[in-house]
Amino acid sequence: MEESAYKSESMHENAPKKPPLEALVDFFKKDLVQYIVKRLLMFIPTLLLISILVFFVIQLPPGDYVSAHIAALASEGEIVDADYAASLRADYGLDLPVHEQYIKWIKDIIWTPTDSTYYRLYGSHHNWKYSFAYGRDVWDVVNDRLGLTILVTAIIMIFQYAVSLPIAVYASTHQYSVGDYISSIIGFLGAAIPNFILAIVLMYLSYKWTGNANVGLFSQEMLQNGVHLYNFGEFLKRMIIPIIVIGTSGTCGIIRSVRAQMLDEVARQYTLTARAKGVPERTIIMKYCFRAAINPTVSGLGGVLSSLFSGSTVTAMVLNMQIQGPVLFKALQAQDMYLAGAIVMVQAVLVVIGILFSDIALAFLDPRIRYSGGGR
Amino acid sequence: MNKENILEVKDLHVDIHMTEGLLTAVRGVNFEMKRGETLGLVGESGCGKSLTCKAILGINDRKCVPSGQILFDSEGLGKVDLLSLDQKGKEIRSIRGKEISMIFQEPMVAFSPMYTIGNQINEATKLHITKDKQKSKEISMDVMRKVGIANVEKRYNQYPHEFSGGMLQRALIAMALVCNPKMLIADEPTTALDVTIQAQILELMKELQKDFNMAILFITHDLGVVAKMCDRVAVMYLGKIVESAAASEIYANPQHPYTRGLIGSVHKIGSKKEDRLFSIEGTVPLAMNLPKACGFYDRCDVRIEGLCDKAEPELTEIAPGHKIACFNCPHEACRAQREKVEEALAKGALTQSPSEDPGPAKAVPKKKKGGAQ
Repeated sequence: MEESAYKSESMHENAPKKPPLEALVDFFKKDLVQYIVKRLLMFIPTLLLISILVFFVIQLPPGDYVSAHIAALASEGEIVDADYAASLRADYGLDLPVHEQYIKWIKDIIWTPTDSTYYRLYGSHHNWKYSFAYGRDVWDVVNDRLGLTILVTAIIMIFQYAVSLPIAVYASTHQYSVGDYISSIIGFLGAAIPNFILAIVLMYLSYKWTGNANVGLFSQEMLQNGVHLYNFGEFLKRMIIPIIVIGTSGTCGIIRSVRAQMLDEVARQYTLTARAKGVPERTIIMKYCFRAAINPTVSGLGGVLSSLFSGSTVTAMVLNMQIQGPVLFKALQAQDMYLAGAIVMVQAVLVVIGILFSDIALAFLDPRIRYSGGGR
Repeated sequence: MNKENILEVKDLHVDIHMTEGLLTAVRGVNFEMKRGETLGLVGESGCGKSLTCKAILGINDRKCVPSGQILFDSEGLGKVDLLSLDQKGKEIRSIRGKEISMIFQEPMVAFSPMYTIGNQINEATKLHITKDKQKSKEISMDVMRKVGIANVEKRYNQYPHEFSGGMLQRALIAMALVCNPKMLIADEPTTALDVTIQAQILELMKELQKDFNMAILFITHDLGVVAKMCDRVAVMYLGKIVESAAASEIYANPQHPYTRGLIGSVHKIGSKKEDRLFSIEGTVPLAMNLPKACGFYDRCDVRIEGLCDKAEPELTEIAPGHKIACFNCPHEACRAQREKVEEALAKGALTQSPSEDPGPAKAVPKKKKGGAQ
């Protein structure tokens, strides 16, 4: 009791009460806070640049949706005159110069005024334009699968790290042991086998053993009633194949890089210092080596996210998963530029958020980053 | 074990398992240390100084396998052979940092950049002295003050990159001394520092040695530092001690040709510009598949052909406290050894060197599972 009284007293001494404004100023003087605020501010120009890039890249293939549409009509024997094509282009604003199209596009995304037709129709201030291929509002199409895409990607990502980090630590602390070799072999196999082949093999095995190929993320029953807590187990069961297929391709890289980093760290002088201090081996590995070794992995988080988005597309088609990859594929085939642009944009935003998270996590992990980025 | 001695190293070998073969980096080192004394271990790079002191703490690399005996008079465990302990076990950990601690060569990399200096110093306190956070923090801060770190309250929460090299070395010393060890191993503690800081740190170590009554094993290749710090000196060459004596004796009366070369190659104030600095010819041979010969044979200016390249001299006492391993030495004990070896060589009976070093062919104890990495 005496001790706690002493403690609270000393704490009081250390932190006398400050007026709220001063406390706020102090808060923003902290290196970590400054760093995060700075990173958040960087977010805006980054996204603008990405949007420009995305828009022009989407515009790059010759022709547009109208020409693709007319070609489709012509192949069916319909004769389309030039006036009709021109009027279509004018309707969708496709006849404007590219930069004007871009400005119109990004302006409507950022803010569509209340008195516009779009707002009256959809009740949203963010007009992502119209998807020609789906014949629906772009945001509706994107939104359909956005939640599921994020969920699936997050689960796969957690799986990747949950599997690869312990294996990497084991492999590095038992270098050249049987376990090390086995983990390497499995990792390399995971990286070397094309995802879709693994998917087909697993579906076949699943069908052979359980009588159910577990194709698609939802059972019939889920499609009717929606996913609830009671059938979430079934959903997770259906996630197993996608997780293994998409997850294993990334684990190899993580295992290899963390293992190599760990071996580096174990040989560091400060590891020796810690050992000479009498620190237990476990603490040395976790406190000193691991924290330093996951540094590059954490900074690669954003990259992993983007490779998950693109890497999962083919697998998603094979496995009939209702995520965004296949939609993007279809949009690009049909030259449905607004839909493709929106999906790429959304994925870019997610990746940038991922990078932001990884940067913040890095700053937590490594004090040196806080200082160099702290804007002193 | 002698009662005065805190540490006795007996016939210490350190084998390094490499892909190219077995390298015996330390080949039978014997020395003892008394309480409170400073022993300097001198030699050029690669002669096995660092491996010897790492073997004492059992913090050698996984590939390095020490054998022999290292007897330590421990408070907690009584007299123990440190090599016989499980190198990852509780016992040796209770000695590391608490009873024997170590200061490293490069303070800039000896601290983890991820944690504050206070955290890393306090880690030792929490491990060995008290689990009480408040108390251990106070103890750690006290030691930081003692080694001359100003503004400890602020410094405690700073990271290594906010410290200068000299300050980091002070912090490293604080970390080593925080548990009041009976023995300190200082592995070239001033090599990475500039000369003015070096003098400060050495002065500090001497002061602290008095306060704490520690024995210091001082590893260096700087003979100037040895003269300033050490009571006794052991000169190592190619994994063996070739001469050991009181520090004053080594400077006044060096006997081994290698020691003479070392002392001769120290730059002296007042020497003329035209005088070339003396250097020992040649380089240290690789301690792999060594012939049965004196390790210094190739570089020696007083070598005796037919003897020094056929047999290895043993460490012989030529005066109280002064030992030397050389055949070409006028002292009686050395002559006796030389005559004995010559006789044996003449008979052709000598197939083994008198130092009983079977060399790389020696049966190496199988790598212990608990060997330190």
